[in-house]
Amino acid sequence: MIKGIIHRSPMPGLRLSMGITLAMLSLIVILPIGALLSKGASFGLEGIWAVVSTERSMAALFLSFRISLFAALINLVLGVATAWVLVRYRFPGRKLLDAAVDLPFALPTAVAGIALTALYAPNGFLGAMAKEAGFKIAYTQWGILIALIFVGLPFVTRTVQPVIEEIEREVEEASATLGASRAYTLRRVILPMLTPAALTGFALALARSVGEYGSVIFIAGNIPLRTEIAPLLIVIRLEEFDYDGASAIGIAMLVISFVMLFVINGIQIWSRRRIGYV
Amino acid sequence: MSDIPAQGFRRATEETKGVQVLLILGVVACMTLLLFAPLIAVFSAALADGAVAAVQSLGNADARSAIVLTLTVTAIAVPLNAAFGIAAAWAITKFEFRGKAFLITLIDLPFSVSPVVAGLCLVLLFGANSLIGGWLVAQGNPIIFALPGIVLATMFITFPFVARELIPVMIEQGKAEEEAALTLGAGGWRVFLTVTLPNIRWALLYGVLLCNARAMGEFGAVAVVSGKIRGQTATMPITIEMLYNEYLSVAAFSMAALLALLALVTLALKTALEWRYADQLAATHRH
Amino acid sequence: MHIDIDEISKEFGVTAALHPVSLAIPSGALVALLGPSGSGKTTLLRILGGLEFPTAGRVLFDGADATNLSVQDRRAGFVFQSYALFRHMTVFENIAYGLRARAKAARPSSPEIARRVTKLLDLIQLPQIGDRYPTQLSGGQRQRVALARALAIEPRMLLLDEPFGALDAKVRKELRQGLRDIHDTTGLTTVFVTHDQEEAMELADLVVVMSMGRIEQVGKPEDVRARPKTQFVREFISA
Repeated sequence: MIKGIIHRSPMPGLRLSMGITLAMLSLIVILPIGALLSKGASFGLEGIWAVVSTERSMAALFLSFRISLFAALINLVLGVATAWVLVRYRFPGRKLLDAAVDLPFALPTAVAGIALTALYAPNGFLGAMAKEAGFKIAYTQWGILIALIFVGLPFVTRTVQPVIEEIEREVEEASATLGASRAYTLRRVILPMLTPAALTGFALALARSVGEYGSVIFIAGNIPLRTEIAPLLIVIRLEEFDYDGASAIGIAMLVISFVMLFVINGIQIWSRRRIGYV
Repeated sequence: MSDIPAQGFRRATEETKGVQVLLILGVVACMTLLLFAPLIAVFSAALADGAVAAVQSLGNADARSAIVLTLTVTAIAVPLNAAFGIAAAWAITKFEFRGKAFLITLIDLPFSVSPVVAGLCLVLLFGANSLIGGWLVAQGNPIIFALPGIVLATMFITFPFVARELIPVMIEQGKAEEEAALTLGAGGWRVFLTVTLPNIRWALLYGVLLCNARAMGEFGAVAVVSGKIRGQTATMPITIEMLYNEYLSVAAFSMAALLALLALVTLALKTALEWRYADQLAATHRH
Repeated sequence: MHIDIDEISKEFGVTAALHPVSLAIPSGALVALLGPSGSGKTTLLRILGGLEFPTAGRVLFDGADATNLSVQDRRAGFVFQSYALFRHMTVFENIAYGLRARAKAARPSSPEIARRVTKLLDLIQLPQIGDRYPTQLSGGQRQRVALARALAIEPRMLLLDEPFGALDAKVRKELRQGLRDIHDTTGLTTVFVTHDQEEAMELADLVVVMSMGRIEQVGKPEDVRARPKTQFVREFISA
């Protein structure tokens, strides 16, 4: 059977490398996710819906998704601007900024969580300034938004940056020789070229934000129905040993993840067909 | 026509200076508020009672046990994931087979699953209520609320890192060098050790670096499977949460500062690799 | 339109790409800037197109100073060596681009744009490809689309950078005649850059031989061939 699937090759190590790959993939990823899915299958769609449709679950899922969407949209704009500034402009500190963009990838989420809280809490440096202005950030949905912007910050920048580097100057020059203003060139030539990469980064940031836990729970306040995110509700259900309740919400989130993965792949296939690159 | 005003010497492919300055200032301001300010907040909160208090807070038994546990988990999880990454990259780039795209999607899957959901999956599979877990607990080898569970959770979260770095590099390098070595009579292991490994070592290091940073800092998945037993299953990030919730600010931020230092070192090494060995890394890291 | 290049020089940092050069291009001429790489021919073309600004000297269009005229206002139909077609737009959208980019007052109506694009597609003898994307075209087709796109803005001159550089020998011959025909139909002053002396001699009315940022000789192809002025020209055209 293997002969039909795998082309013959003189290269050594097929069995060993494929064996390790499939064994570890099964143990670490497939079996655990399968356990959740089979749990879901055991109580059926109505069973899942019964849990998910409760007011508290719906509020948590909707909150996670809605604020993640806002955060990803802000990251879309900020990320494209950051990538543009890093590639096209020269200014002191550019290389430091370039390296710092990846900080959210490297900084543990719990550290980011307490750091943002310390900063944006009413007694923190920026929180105090916001309080002066009659505005509360930490322990409100604004706090969640800031944490999720932080978490998703590098995605758009890092997907768009290589594409900007690849743009041929001649294409921009062609637009100018045809009489287009710089603004028109940016809008009609540059932005469409960046769109597939920017959308990929947007979807990646969104996927990451929806599931984010560590950096959010410190700054969120965690008030049911108002600032309680879906991953936190799973943790709460597990602490109550309500495995069914936790699983139902977990499956809802897994479905959201799969849909996003599907969308990301779709964007890339569309982009490759249409303009020949991702 | 000579009365047309001079438009200056701005190149056709540049924005006006004013736009440039505005954009740069805007981006720098956002990055300062979002990236640099929190970093400063961590260190200043850690040093609020002086450096001595900060260091002392890391010296008690619970803190030491957390550090040892985190190092232990990382020392197990990262090499295993590196081995997986190499094996997966070899299988995917050296052979042609059906379902390759699907396999890559499966490897990338952990990136899009919430850490908490990952922890939940492991609890369902290996927890005391499950078939496998019940048996393991009866044997006296529990996985959940113990070291193996923390390792598994960490591995799940960091699973794609190494493979993701290696696959594009190995695709780009092709397999001509390996084929040449084979025709010269080299065996499989010799080909891998003397031809492939030297070509991918910097990309491997890059992947291991990112994998390590994420492994030491993983919180959500570990929070679910560890049971948070002080002195036993509390990793550094978990300990930060416990200390913070007990209002032990200096202790919490001191440990956070330790992890933040690790993040900074990771970024520095990563940047150094990007500058020094850009041609041997995945194309997206070259700039 | 006739073009006067008056003592133009160009420095990039410390290196001089053009020593002061002067050249008069008569209205309606088809001119080749011929020279090896590094001779400054592309720099001179880009200065004419407004993509570079000279360090010193003036450019005059029909006797009026155009040195500081912005690239957008020059209305120079520029064809790039890589063609620089917009990959995310269809051929139709590429050709219509310059018309659609105009300020509202000067912009033709949609039907008028469609009419002009169709006419240009006929002119380049590719009437059927309006809906295709650049990646779906052959090299020769791309070149002709780039030419049509440049013509769509009703340019005052036509500037082409190595227009046949990326094509194989057979297509190159066909397209040379195509460029000649388009030049003769439109009557536009046309300047093209090439490193291929045969191409320059066969196609141009006037050949400008350049080397190391200087103009070595200006003349009709047969004169340059028969009476090379300098050692460099003699060696370059016999190569």
